[in-house]
Amino acid sequence: MTGRSFRVSADIGGTFTDLVFQDAETGVCEAFKVLSTPHNPALAVIEGVEKHLPEGSAVDFFVHGTTVGLNAVLTRRGARVALVTTKNYRDIYTIQGNDRGEIFSIHWRKPRPPVEIPDTYTVAERINAKGEIETPLDVAELDAVVEAVRGKGYEAIAVCLLFSFKNPAHELAVEAYLKERLPGLPITLSHRVSPEWREYARTSTTAMDAYAAPVVRRYLDTLVAQLSSRLPKGRQLHVMKSNGGAMTAAAATDMPLQTLLSGPVGGAIGGQTLAAEIGKPNLICVDMGGTSFDASLIIEGKPSASNEAELEGLPIQMSVVDIHVIGAGGGSIAWEEAGAVRVGPKSAGSVPGPACYGRGGTEPTVSDANLVLGRLDSSNFAGGSMTLDKDKAREAVGALGARFGFSTEAMAQGIIDIINAKMADAIRTITIRRGIDPRDFALVAYGGAGPAQAVALAQQLDIREVVIPVMPGAFSAWGMLQTDVRHDFKMTYYGFWHQIDAADLAEKFAALEAEGTGYLEKEGFTSAEISFERFADFRYHGQEYVLTIPVPAGAIDMAAVRASFDEAYDRQYGHSSPEAQVEVANLRVAALGTLARPGIPDPAVLGRTAPRDRRVYFDGVEHDAAVLNRDEFAKGEAIEGPAIIEEATATTILPPDWRAEVITGGQLLLTRR
Amino acid sequence: MAHADPITTEVVRNFVISCAKDMNAALWRSAFSAIIYEGRDSAVALLDEKGNMLGQSTGVPLFVGAIDACVKLVLDRYGEDIHPGDIFILNDSYLQGTHLHDVTAIGPLFYKDELVGFGAARAHWQDIGAIDPGSTMGSTSIFHEGLRLGPTRIVSKNRRIPEWYDLLTRNTRLKDMTIGDLNAQITSIRTGEKRLAQILDRIGPDTYRAACANIFEQARLLDREAIGRLQDGSYYREGYLDDDGVTTDAVKVALRLTIEGEKMIIDLEGSSGPVQGSINCGAVQTESLLRLAYKTMINPDRAITGGSFSTMEVRIPDKCIFNAREPAACEWYFTGLGLLADLMISCLGEAMPEKATAAHYGDSMVAAFFDMDSDRGQWISVEPTAGGWGGANGSDGESALINLVNGGFRNLPAEVYETKFPVRVEEFSLRRDSGGSGRWRGGMGVVRSYRLLEDCYGALWFERSRTPAWGINGGGDGQGPDNDIIHPDGRVEKPLKMRARRFEKGTLFVTRTGGGGGNGNPKARPVEEVLHDVVAGAVSREAALSQYGVAIDADLTVDPVRTEARA
Repeated sequence: MTGRSFRVSADIGGTFTDLVFQDAETGVCEAFKVLSTPHNPALAVIEGVEKHLPEGSAVDFFVHGTTVGLNAVLTRRGARVALVTTKNYRDIYTIQGNDRGEIFSIHWRKPRPPVEIPDTYTVAERINAKGEIETPLDVAELDAVVEAVRGKGYEAIAVCLLFSFKNPAHELAVEAYLKERLPGLPITLSHRVSPEWREYARTSTTAMDAYAAPVVRRYLDTLVAQLSSRLPKGRQLHVMKSNGGAMTAAAATDMPLQTLLSGPVGGAIGGQTLAAEIGKPNLICVDMGGTSFDASLIIEGKPSASNEAELEGLPIQMSVVDIHVIGAGGGSIAWEEAGAVRVGPKSAGSVPGPACYGRGGTEPTVSDANLVLGRLDSSNFAGGSMTLDKDKAREAVGALGARFGFSTEAMAQGIIDIINAKMADAIRTITIRRGIDPRDFALVAYGGAGPAQAVALAQQLDIREVVIPVMPGAFSAWGMLQTDVRHDFKMTYYGFWHQIDAADLAEKFAALEAEGTGYLEKEGFTSAEISFERFADFRYHGQEYVLTIPVPAGAIDMAAVRASFDEAYDRQYGHSSPEAQVEVANLRVAALGTLARPGIPDPAVLGRTAPRDRRVYFDGVEHDAAVLNRDEFAKGEAIEGPAIIEEATATTILPPDWRAEVITGGQLLLTRR
Repeated sequence: MAHADPITTEVVRNFVISCAKDMNAALWRSAFSAIIYEGRDSAVALLDEKGNMLGQSTGVPLFVGAIDACVKLVLDRYGEDIHPGDIFILNDSYLQGTHLHDVTAIGPLFYKDELVGFGAARAHWQDIGAIDPGSTMGSTSIFHEGLRLGPTRIVSKNRRIPEWYDLLTRNTRLKDMTIGDLNAQITSIRTGEKRLAQILDRIGPDTYRAACANIFEQARLLDREAIGRLQDGSYYREGYLDDDGVTTDAVKVALRLTIEGEKMIIDLEGSSGPVQGSINCGAVQTESLLRLAYKTMINPDRAITGGSFSTMEVRIPDKCIFNAREPAACEWYFTGLGLLADLMISCLGEAMPEKATAAHYGDSMVAAFFDMDSDRGQWISVEPTAGGWGGANGSDGESALINLVNGGFRNLPAEVYETKFPVRVEEFSLRRDSGGSGRWRGGMGVVRSYRLLEDCYGALWFERSRTPAWGINGGGDGQGPDNDIIHPDGRVEKPLKMRARRFEKGTLFVTRTGGGGGNGNPKARPVEEVLHDVVAGAVSREAALSQYGVAIDADLTVDPVRTEARA
């Protein structure tokens, strides 16, 4: 066997599954799209690999992002779960946080939890805040659960008892008792899934794991069975995690929850790689598709992350890449209200889609406006796979314009201006409102609609540099190939920082690291490939919310860590209190297993074809813009605006006073002249 | 007059909302006290140069639309004598309507030497020099409640006026925090000024003003359309507050809503005169509350911009608990506002029956514990508690949700609570049978029990036992609040409002918040839904039979013979 081998990634979306094949030796990448198969997403992946993997070659590494667990939650098709709680806390998952999701609405209703009160069982027991047993566990009360499992057909049990993160004895005893009587039934214990305080959030995390687990496991088993013959012996499939790392399919079977929010993280990891490659550590990454606009940050070379996520309004305690989503995309609809123009958040989706799709849509959308302005090519959309109907777009946009006395072009420009203002506001939410100045960042734009809006968006925020990565339409899949294996571990560790014994702290961190080593060794990593990042959650005494601060490797310099909290606080809130007492709340360790991967080569350049021209509107003025093919430009070459730069998965719009340059790895750097 | 086309207008409309959010974020980021940056007890607004509100962002819904009145007071007093870099503050309860803790800072926004608007930032100051630290529960006069300021210039042309800063710091127990919070409010206003300059660079002040005029007109049009759809008529409701926290007398609250075409008149004639305890509320905040109640029923998902509420006229008698005048005490001014909001929402519900909703539990229902101890130093826990909301048309009321005026407040998990305070949360559960019966049942209140593990102080402020959440369309009333304090020797007290007292280790506070009102005839509730309520612990078997006419046996099966036919 001397055939080539490939690293393969798959990003499974609602309509299309994107696959990227990377030559394991040269690093050259190629992207493909296949139709998704929502009833069994594995089929599209398998089909794509079968169809596009060159004859005689092998898959060396396979990673994919899956939305199977997420969909099970969204469509309420998870397992039938029984929840076990401490006595007097039966209603915890229905009471929730008590806050109102929409503060002006009296008709707002709480999210419905996946496990409700009739499926909740309590047991007499109580552990106090110090971890001492206040009331011993009365296991006999669990017989009601055993009986109910037989009678009601539960497929999984979730157990969350108060203060189990301090002392897991009662949860373990519950598990032992139930296992003996209900062999084979999956049991999720809260202190294993999330050894962290806050009982409602931990209950939700535990229940969500139990709920999604069987579905995720079933899916992974299918995929492994069908793809493992393609992999070299001893190699495993990898699955993306919500924290931006990857894990083996076997690990995912143990931690299905970690796959839940892994769908959009590929883009952020791609951004992290880009930051290192082009030497720009601060990036705003935006992914604009048909219906949604996702924004995330790379700060000092790392994706901005959070320790708690929300799904359907319910909390999940786990590390996630922080992604802000609003309803704005190519399909956002423009409409009239009280003599005013509004755009979005309603979207035409893919059916009927924008008017120009010719599938029956009649309301004007952002894509229609771009087509009217000459910014999209009606004959060369989505790599030529689809033809757009410019007349239908003009008709829809023109009809709205007529109501306000605007020309069709002016109305189209207006739709673009309004949607840009909304997207800029989404970026302000994650930058300016958190004390971050977007002018210190470069904007990375991808997704089908991102490169077309990128410059206009940057101008709204006074951002001077824009990067359009290679394969912008499949950038999330590309990003997955850049990831390492990552597992997160945590423990609640509460006290005043100045009273904490550094030796005890080091011991606690070492224990978390040992846990990480255990996982990574099982996944085949050697000690040379394993590394750790340590963190602690801090706050000033009397505060509620925490900041997560890195604790550098080696001996812990207590004063230095404390000082870095003050600095981080100052960055976030504009002031700090170095004289105030500081509390630590949780310790966290990220265990990393480095995956070998090739570098990113400069792409091959195709022969130059004759340039075409198109009439294109920029800020209400019509220009002759050159229409160019991106893959005809080599590293170091520049393009002056106005220009339209086309490629298979997206179209980049370069206004008159901007220029584009092909830089390392074939990335396009757009700057204002 | 310059012209602004609909696209520019929409861009400006998005701008004023976005700018207010930036200003509030700047306030939260730089404030010194947790009640602002975590409790979000704040509100900011961007206004035009005449003091008309353009965009606003609030942390607590209660502050919706009460800031413009403050800016107009500054304009009245200072007129032409307003210069770039000036900052004014005020907190007078009778002028701005709330308690003295809420201090509003206001700054003119200039663009190239031209006055183009105002920025305003209101924040809750922890200590304003009242008779007790923090919040006093026993005040009977504004002069017990701290330093009181009318519109006052404290920064002149970017220079602090030292004697005013001196006065502020001499009148608070928390000097650094007070000045830190004031500076955060000023930062917020400056953020608005910078952001406004960016859009004026692009479109110029004249087009901006024209766009603002369009925004006012659009909002007016939307309100007029909404009110035009309501059924004309005159709607009246009344209820009683338990007491004013000092005496034991009930306090009457009355509201008449009149809809005539596109006009809405709200009249509080018949409500109690001023009271001795500190539950008097200024007229500006009363009007703000009525705007909030209106907003909950009409276009709640829309951003509030200039011109909103222009069709609403509010009439409050001179001598009224809702029109506080010197020397009425105002510290707990929001006590009557929950009931007032429910009265308004019920009246509106009669004018728009499809959206009618029964009353909610309607009060913050605060439990507080504090002390000084050797381990923790000074510790204090003050918790508003969630309760039940009213049944709507087509859905049961929500259970265990924070009251209308508080909005985004979250409960403290027991695991955090017990780690921080020497108190054990022995129970946190839904309060069975607390929701009013109905075709659409009222939501449940909660039971939250606190066991004191050390001697400490405890205080309670629970309202709405005389007029608990009422039902509509034949639905039953929700239960009002009900508390037990069980002493270690077995003695039981049942206080609702109680000033801070010292309690012994081992004392158990069992607090029970109110449920929501029911909507429609309970005998029309399908049997299977009543059965589900019993299984889920919302309704007892006894109440299922007595209120719903559904007989459920001990094994949780329905007895069809004893069950009444559905209405």
